[in-house]
Amino acid sequence: MNKRLRNALKGLTAPDVERRRRAMEPFVRATFGIFIKYLYRYLGNEVECEDVLEDVYADIWENPERLRNITNEKQLLMTVYLYYMRKRLREVYRRINRNLYLSQRNLKELIAPEIGALEMVSRSELQQILGQALSKLKARERRAIELWMEGASNRSIANELKTTVGAVKMLEYRTMLKLRKMLRYYYRED
Amino acid sequence: MPEEETMSDTNREIHELLVDYAGALRDGCIPSFLKSLTREEAERIASSWEFWDATEVSRILNGVGFADKAVTTNVSLFISHVDAKIASRKKLKASPNGKRSARARSVTKRENRT
Repeated sequence: MNKRLRNALKGLTAPDVERRRRAMEPFVRATFGIFIKYLYRYLGNEVECEDVLEDVYADIWENPERLRNITNEKQLLMTVYLYYMRKRLREVYRRINRNLYLSQRNLKELIAPEIGALEMVSRSELQQILGQALSKLKARERRAIELWMEGASNRSIANELKTTVGAVKMLEYRTMLKLRKMLRYYYRED
Repeated sequence: MPEEETMSDTNREIHELLVDYAGALRDGCIPSFLKSLTREEAERIASSWEFWDATEVSRILNGVGFADKAVTTNVSLFISHVDAKIASRKKLKASPNGKRSARARSVTKRENRT
């Protein structure tokens, strides 16, 4: 953890309210990029991410106790997700919950799930792991996922692979399950 | 002809639900996906462990593929929003009985009138 972030964390957990407020700016500057990229996995929408993060930072300012003994960035991200982000993520969807058929438990699991080993890996590590897993896929499976990650629609993926949209959906589903197995195996090996 | 044979199942299959969820996550419209679920589809999701496994991968793909989109150029503006939020919470904390005192005032006003 860099010195700037360490000092900001020290200031954030100080008993003095004004000192905590002053420490917020360097803390936000040091962590905004990390937090918003992480949150984007769950929301996929930058405006929503910023709204949630505003509340997350205000919650941290109000109750910074959980950040007292943080020693590294990974631990910081895990703590912030578990104790601050998840609560806010769930609130985003609470207001529409009345009209949904999903149970409260399933909804929670879908929008703010329990933390998995993969969720806490840094983006660069994740890119590397995913790259390795993708290279083990069949060419057609890899192409479908790559196109999907480039933002292509199922229709254009189907055109590219010369197949139907229905077949593309099945291919993507099976490939995601295959990837999940590969990634799980990778972590067990670690 | 028996009724079951004439009714076709219009609910999405689990693989279609997963792909739609992943697409909604990618395009930032999860609420629309959630609202689109029928009772049968919600039950299908609840009982499929494969669906839950695949959602993890779709989140990972989302994080790797699209998270860069989320980086705001103006962090200073964001900080000013956070600061304003903190200030309003501070204000709220300073007057925890704000509502009660307002109600008390109106009661005294009413009493004074009568």
